Amino acid sequence: MRNTVIDTITKAAEKEKSIFVVTGDAGFGVLDEFQKKFPERYLNLGVAEQNMISFSAGLAMAGYNVFVYNITPFVLYRCYEQVRNDLCYQKLPVTLIGIGSGVTYAPQGHTHYSVEDVGVARTLPGLVVLSPADPLEAELCAKYAIKSKKPAFIRLAKYGEPKIHSEKVKSVESPIVVKKGSGVTVLFHGSVGIEVMQAVEGLKARPQLISVPMLTEGDFSGLKKLLKNTRTVITVEEHYVQGGLGSIMAEWIIENGVDVKLRKLGVKNEYIHKIKNNLGMREHYGISASEIRRAITSEFKIVKKP
Amino acid sequence: MDNLESEEKLISTKAREARRLMIEIANKSKSAHIGSSLSCVDMITTLYFYKLRIDPKDWKNRDIFILSKGHSAMALYANLTLRGFISKPDLFQYLQNNGKLPAHLDRFTNKAIEASVGSLGHGFNMGLGMAYVFKQKGENRNVYSVIGDGESQEGSIWEGALFAPKLGIDNFTVLLDYNNLQGYGRPTEICHYEPVRAKWEAFGWQVYEVGGHDYRQLIGALDAPSNGKPKIIIAKTIKGKGVSFMENEMKWHYFIVTDEFKKQALEELAAE
Repeated sequence: MRNTVIDTITKAAEKEKSIFVVTGDAGFGVLDEFQKKFPERYLNLGVAEQNMISFSAGLAMAGYNVFVYNITPFVLYRCYEQVRNDLCYQKLPVTLIGIGSGVTYAPQGHTHYSVEDVGVARTLPGLVVLSPADPLEAELCAKYAIKSKKPAFIRLAKYGEPKIHSEKVKSVESPIVVKKGSGVTVLFHGSVGIEVMQAVEGLKARPQLISVPMLTEGDFSGLKKLLKNTRTVITVEEHYVQGGLGSIMAEWIIENGVDVKLRKLGVKNEYIHKIKNNLGMREHYGISASEIRRAITSEFKIVKKP
Repeated sequence: MDNLESEEKLISTKAREARRLMIEIANKSKSAHIGSSLSCVDMITTLYFYKLRIDPKDWKNRDIFILSKGHSAMALYANLTLRGFISKPDLFQYLQNNGKLPAHLDRFTNKAIEASVGSLGHGFNMGLGMAYVFKQKGENRNVYSVIGDGESQEGSIWEGALFAPKLGIDNFTVLLDYNNLQGYGRPTEICHYEPVRAKWEAFGWQVYEVGGHDYRQLIGALDAPSNGKPKIIIAKTIKGKGVSFMENEMKWHYFIVTDEFKKQALEELAAE
């Protein structure tokens, strides 16, 4: 997805002369083309994340539409206050492209995971949090960020994620129905979406599958209708169960008086010491295809009871 | 009277007026940071009444000033009032309920406030970004920023300091308000602060040292060549400068200008 996002930005930069790309010493093999094509609109600001964000704010204050590329801890955690004060408080067109969502980089160690980023990012009013599930969504997320000129955070895994949509996606600004169904609705965001798709393969029961690429500032107004025939909502995310989509939905369900049960699947709120690869971690935390399938099946059993 | 002398005279008059306004609003709002504001008001006044090109009719080509030590906002507000960007009634609404101006800078309150700044070690770096764009686009625009000596303990200042010379931004000038008094101590006692000049030189900056309340020296350093580098003017200042009982006293980082203090201060700052 990172290649899709960068390709989309590179392509747009031909026409949009205000696009500027900043990296904090990341992007080997990813940003090469942009750098080659637009050297005057590219800067590597090195291993200095606070300066990187404030400097990017300055670029935006002087007219640029800035895209900052790095792994998520270095666009959001190390420089949270710069993101808060300089980008969001000042409403500047700067998009943070954070790589390595969830436990993508397992077993690099907890320092390199981003399992609380949605929770952190959604505390900032006006920051558009985008978490595409596949390259089709990623392209639209990049296009949205280019056009909207709002502070944004695009949460990406790495590269080579398969498509989950069989047809063209029109918009990422509201939840997208990926598969129609009823009784149980699975809401998800990000690269873990592929696990959800695999979980329902060959399943007799027909849960509704919905991708939620825009986690904040999005349009949830159609969701109530979509959940009309739903008894249980299951959220799936490669993120802590606290603070992410599960929490967003918990708030939304209560505030909208929707009568559904909520089951949150995600990474347990803990520091991760286990040494496992990405798939191993997903299995461990119950967000692999088989674990999601088990959760869906058990909810259908409950749904069927009188 | 030579040209420079008349410039000095103007700055001196305006700085005195600014100080009086600052005392008035500090008293009315019962706010802190009058000492920090009096420390840097001379350099800010020198910028607004000598150096900055800020013509409302040519707004898109204006120079940029970012007060990175945002807690000295009173010194900026007073100058913007004297330059006609903030009305006097609005200035006197400083910190008032439903007023116009907060204690720390919010760029949406006035078009002449370039950056929202309150936390230290932000404005300086935003200024670097802006200076880079102007330089790269060949625009003849300069960026000035005032940082504090306490602020210079922020890592972000040194992150920016490390990159700026590489970016060729000789249109960027920072003034260091070196009063050697911060919130709860003296920089030179809290950390290994000196040698300041050698540090900035080692980082590749063009360094000038001046008396921070000496207008002629400030003008000289502002006009001095950058030699293709970003410039820092290390301005030795006195916290609380201009009001005898506030000078070089840490407590005036926090103390409130009571009616009695105000009376004494305004007597000292009476127009010449």
